[in-house]
Amino acid sequence: MNPLDLFAENVPHLQHSFDPAIVFGTSSFGMTQYIFWMIICFLITIAIVLGVSKRLTLVPNNKFVNMVEYGYEFVRKDMGEGAIGHGYKKHIPFLATLFFFILISNFVGLIPGCKTPTGTISVTWALAIISFVYFNYWGVKAHGGWGYIKSIAPSGLPGPMVPVIWFFEFVSMVLRALTLAVRLYGNMFAGHMVLGVFALAISIFIGCAVQDANFIFALPPIGFMVFLIAMYALEVLVAFLQAYVFTILSAVYISLATSSH
Amino acid sequence: MELTLALSALKLVGYGLATIGPGLGIGIACYGCCMASARQPELAGRLFTNFIIGAALAEALALIGFVLAFIV
Repeated sequence: MNPLDLFAENVPHLQHSFDPAIVFGTSSFGMTQYIFWMIICFLITIAIVLGVSKRLTLVPNNKFVNMVEYGYEFVRKDMGEGAIGHGYKKHIPFLATLFFFILISNFVGLIPGCKTPTGTISVTWALAIISFVYFNYWGVKAHGGWGYIKSIAPSGLPGPMVPVIWFFEFVSMVLRALTLAVRLYGNMFAGHMVLGVFALAISIFIGCAVQDANFIFALPPIGFMVFLIAMYALEVLVAFLQAYVFTILSAVYISLATSSH
Repeated sequence: MELTLALSALKLVGYGLATIGPGLGIGIACYGCCMASARQPELAGRLFTNFIIGAALAEALALIGFVLAFIV
């Protein structure tokens, strides 16, 4: 049997496994596999954060507690103080929540058999809209309603240019929510698709090699396997980097909305 | 039938074209970040943050191309 034909037959099954399959309930009132894993990620996040906050000591004596504390410190120093600057302290709980939830969601997806909640566009849209509403809320709070709308366009422009620039800035502001959502979704989905394709190719080639007793088919899986491990390592990096990028962009948008131009 | 196929193929070509600009942009941003950190290693953390922000903004164009391939 030709492994490539078999591979082409099996790819639709792989694609189908990324669809939001319903775990229980109906399509209008029920739960898909991504929502199921999202709730599990919520529980893990809450368990980690609450468990660690009970064991906080002045001198760190627990490696795990110290690690989570370092993560919080990373959000506070690198993202909060670095990107927002003055008055960053009140935004840290929001940013830390986003960071830990996205980080844990991305890492849960890397365990074979688990799904990443951020691998579906609905969850990332929800996260992006939360971020969008949050920075607009703080922008309105900082400048007042009309002042915030005016502050979208930079001050000091010649009169006739103001509506044009305002329009472009407004479009770019709406695009912020879109790009936040699609960046996270695209990275997680594409990464898992690449991992899935190579894992599928390895299993099909080895299956054909065993079935036909043809050792030529056993050669490509060696290369695939090396590539798969390398891609997996890259995905671990991407999982962290995307959580970082999402959080730091939220921080930058908050600082853009609240700072006076 | 052939028109639909051509249209869906053109969407993929369009997405490929849309990635050229951001690819170049992120490459240049990474070059600048590496050069700057080599000259002033104590600023590397701050420079990396700026690099991530710039790369994310350039990447937005590629993402718009990705979305347009779906919705148009």
